[in-house]
Amino acid sequence: MKIKKKIIDSTIEIFSTMVMMDISVENDEVEGSGKLQDTITGVIGLAGIHKGVLAVHIPYPVALAITSNFLGMDVNEINEDVEDAVGELANMLGGNIKTVLTENGRDIDLSLPSTISGSSYNFQPSKDVIKIVVEFGTSNGHFLVELQLEK
Amino acid sequence: MEQTELHIDQEIISATKDVFSTMVMMELENGSPVIGKGGEITSNISSMLGLGGGIKGVLAIHCPAQVAKGITGAFLGMDVEELDDDVKDAIGELTNMVAGNLKVFFAKTGIDIKLAIPTSVIGESYHTSGLFGANRVVVPFTNENGSFWIELKYIFTN
Repeated sequence: MKIKKKIIDSTIEIFSTMVMMDISVENDEVEGSGKLQDTITGVIGLAGIHKGVLAVHIPYPVALAITSNFLGMDVNEINEDVEDAVGELANMLGGNIKTVLTENGRDIDLSLPSTISGSSYNFQPSKDVIKIVVEFGTSNGHFLVELQLEK
Repeated sequence: MEQTELHIDQEIISATKDVFSTMVMMELENGSPVIGKGGEITSNISSMLGLGGGIKGVLAIHCPAQVAKGITGAFLGMDVEELDDDVKDAIGELTNMVAGNLKVFFAKTGIDIKLAIPTSVIGESYHTSGLFGANRVVVPFTNENGSFWIELKYIFTN
């Protein structure tokens, strides 16, 4: 499936070049993100000839490691730097993924990214979407990338 | 274009009141808009909708559980006991409609906005964040069940 392969390739590429982190695919048939605990989610909307949402759900230890790599310094608490890093990650992934959805990448616009974080929440799509969720592994734990596209 | 010239806070108020009075048959009171960071928001469900094109933004409706259930009950004409799929779909749909009204408003000023799709965050303990250089307007509304908030973050792209 072209889109799923693009999600996997984009995520691996961004993590290797921008986060300086090696990641692996743990499961490319995940049903849904489920109950998220002690997690921070970066989310960005896609609008245009295709509409959707791209989200990356990252447990706190992984988010801290990502932010530390991004900034080149130790980050030990979930603060604004972590929120910015996770939002920027969603932005980069969204930018890559939209190029597989349109011929020239220009017919889809990205929204502003947002972050959600907390000890317990669910991230629910609207009705009538196709959902692709891939689980990745890092040395600090796993995280999820979720793409929802309007049918 | 300056935000103050566009009176975006006033537009959010009228867009929201219009949707709620026509689709939910609910009259709302609004509080003072908060511009920029700040404003205490307590919620158990947040529906968020990304905006692209002439504006990069995100519109969100944040509701505590009781208020969300009350709004959904009025929208669907039935009693709602928990924060279930009906609530998620109803609040998401209302977010979509308020965004639709804002799209019309911005179009009149020559700014074309495209809407993404709503997603809902539901939980006991979470907070939404991230400004990313955007302007932010939060408007509190009250109905008989309590308060909810409409939050718009936006950057003009031209």
